[in-house]
Amino acid sequence: MFQNRREGLALALPAAIFTLLVFLLPVSIFLSEAFRFDGGWSLQGYVQFFSEPLNQSVFLRTLKLGALVAGSSAVIGYAAAFCIVNLDGRARGQIFGLVVLPLMISPVARTYAWIVILGRTGIVNDTIVGLGLSETPIRLLFTETAVFLGLLQLFLPLMIISLVSAMENLPRDVIPAARVLGASWLQVFTRIILPLTREGLVMGGTLVFTGSLTAYITPAILGGSKVLMLETLLYQKVNVSNDFVSASVIAMILIVMSFSANLLLKRIATARR
Amino acid sequence: MKTQLITPGALALCLTATSAVAQDRTLTISVYSFAQDAYKEALYDPFEEICNCELVIETGNSVERMAKIEANAADPVIDMAVISSHDALALAQKGLLAQIDTASLGNFDKLYPAAQDPLGNGMAVGYTFYASSIVYRSDLVTIDSWGDLFSDEVAGRVALPNITGTQGPLTLMMLNKALDQDPSDFGPTIDAIGEKADDIVTFYSRSSELAQLMLQEEVIAAPVGRFAWSRFQGTPFPFAWADPAEGQAGGMNVMIMTKDNGNEELALEFMDYWLSTEVQTRVAEARIDSPANMEVTVSDEIAEALTYGGDLIKSLTILPPEEIIEKRDGWVEQWNRSVIQ
Repeated sequence: MFQNRREGLALALPAAIFTLLVFLLPVSIFLSEAFRFDGGWSLQGYVQFFSEPLNQSVFLRTLKLGALVAGSSAVIGYAAAFCIVNLDGRARGQIFGLVVLPLMISPVARTYAWIVILGRTGIVNDTIVGLGLSETPIRLLFTETAVFLGLLQLFLPLMIISLVSAMENLPRDVIPAARVLGASWLQVFTRIILPLTREGLVMGGTLVFTGSLTAYITPAILGGSKVLMLETLLYQKVNVSNDFVSASVIAMILIVMSFSANLLLKRIATARR
Repeated sequence: MKTQLITPGALALCLTATSAVAQDRTLTISVYSFAQDAYKEALYDPFEEICNCELVIETGNSVERMAKIEANAADPVIDMAVISSHDALALAQKGLLAQIDTASLGNFDKLYPAAQDPLGNGMAVGYTFYASSIVYRSDLVTIDSWGDLFSDEVAGRVALPNITGTQGPLTLMMLNKALDQDPSDFGPTIDAIGEKADDIVTFYSRSSELAQLMLQEEVIAAPVGRFAWSRFQGTPFPFAWADPAEGQAGGMNVMIMTKDNGNEELALEFMDYWLSTEVQTRVAEARIDSPANMEVTVSDEIAEALTYGGDLIKSLTILPPEEIIEKRDGWVEQWNRSVIQ
């Protein structure tokens, strides 16, 4: 495309410099704090972080909720994506539009909606009490369930979009052919759909898992200080304790978790080939 | 004709020069981000008109603002700040504050005695008091004691302030009193909160968050600062302000001046203006801050929203700032272990 390589590099240079100066450099300086202790380089910050029972439980809760949200998104996402790709043109566009619509609304507004829905006088509790499942409203806010629902609603569209994109590339005849040859729907899914859409699953899984790990607004509003997650703990370390070393340790842990999830999903996808 | 042409030009030059001089007098203040529009009207704009200077307002939470003062200690970028008394003491102990020349504050003698030298050695001057008690739904429960926060009547519908905020330690102190524990040791009280953690809806960080939960009927009783009381007035629900048997807790926010900021004269001028009866009345009538100036008089309706009057201020149980600084890390550690986990 370019007559020589230099022209291409020259065009990329402003973006590269911008990224270096306003992202990579400050983030590197901040993250380097995670390896400093008593004026020298050390992993002591990590040892201290993981030696505190509160931090251990927050780490495990973050991992658990991230995995649950990613897993649930995949299950719901496959069903939704399969339905969408099998719709006719106009209906398909409308349904896909509805899936994308929440992404155009602020996460703050979407999360506050959950406060109303999950509150004592919200629709969920009204239904539970109305159906006689409980005499009094049950507490849903400030629980792991609330954070899970909020994160699922927040990131499910990303999984659906990734899977729809992957399923659109499925050869049209493979599923009918498998069915004609006697494959059950479970076999069709595990032996045809899943292997052929693995790239979409890896992409969606990474986006949802990473998003769940790093989302702040939803856990802060729906979980509060009773359901601390790593990102809300990070905020507390910076804005309440002024403890930048612990904050950079948490940031580093979040980065490692995100990369590990991506590698793990890629490995799983490759193993099925 | 020639003179007429020159005169407007010279005038414009003079105006430009005057404007430049005015802009040279700049005072940088660090304040809570709360009610800034009301402060602009009641305090900042009138002061700028009087002093012929420019105010630069920096806002944020206490930790951010304290970190900025500490990071720029060698060449202060903040001249004057308002902050809680215990945060001010922490800065004073690090040698970051200048002694305030109270003799140059014309309104100093009008302050309640407790506000005149709250940290000792002239390190700060109090500009507002706040009471802290329990707001509750009077149609659903009755609160007569801080210990009622643990009663079965409010179980599952009570919220407490987080230990990391200003209201947290005050609540601990009053619960400690209600549970008849050793006043110097909040440990058993933190453990008692931990045992009741499942009955507590949340540990809130901001009064706005609590107001929303109470208006949504999620919470029916919670300790809160009087400065937030106006959020509960005029709502569809019958909220009441408790008068517990153990009394109300109280606190004070103070004005401080950074060491060697080079702008001491203007900072003192601004502090004196803020403490004046005129400004303290305007701020009180806007229901922003309760007055520390004894000469301020407000209507009963306004007084109802504030921590107002010498008798009330004298009756408040204050947690000494030095105790908060000394013990806070231990409280937070035990809180994380017993309550949050």
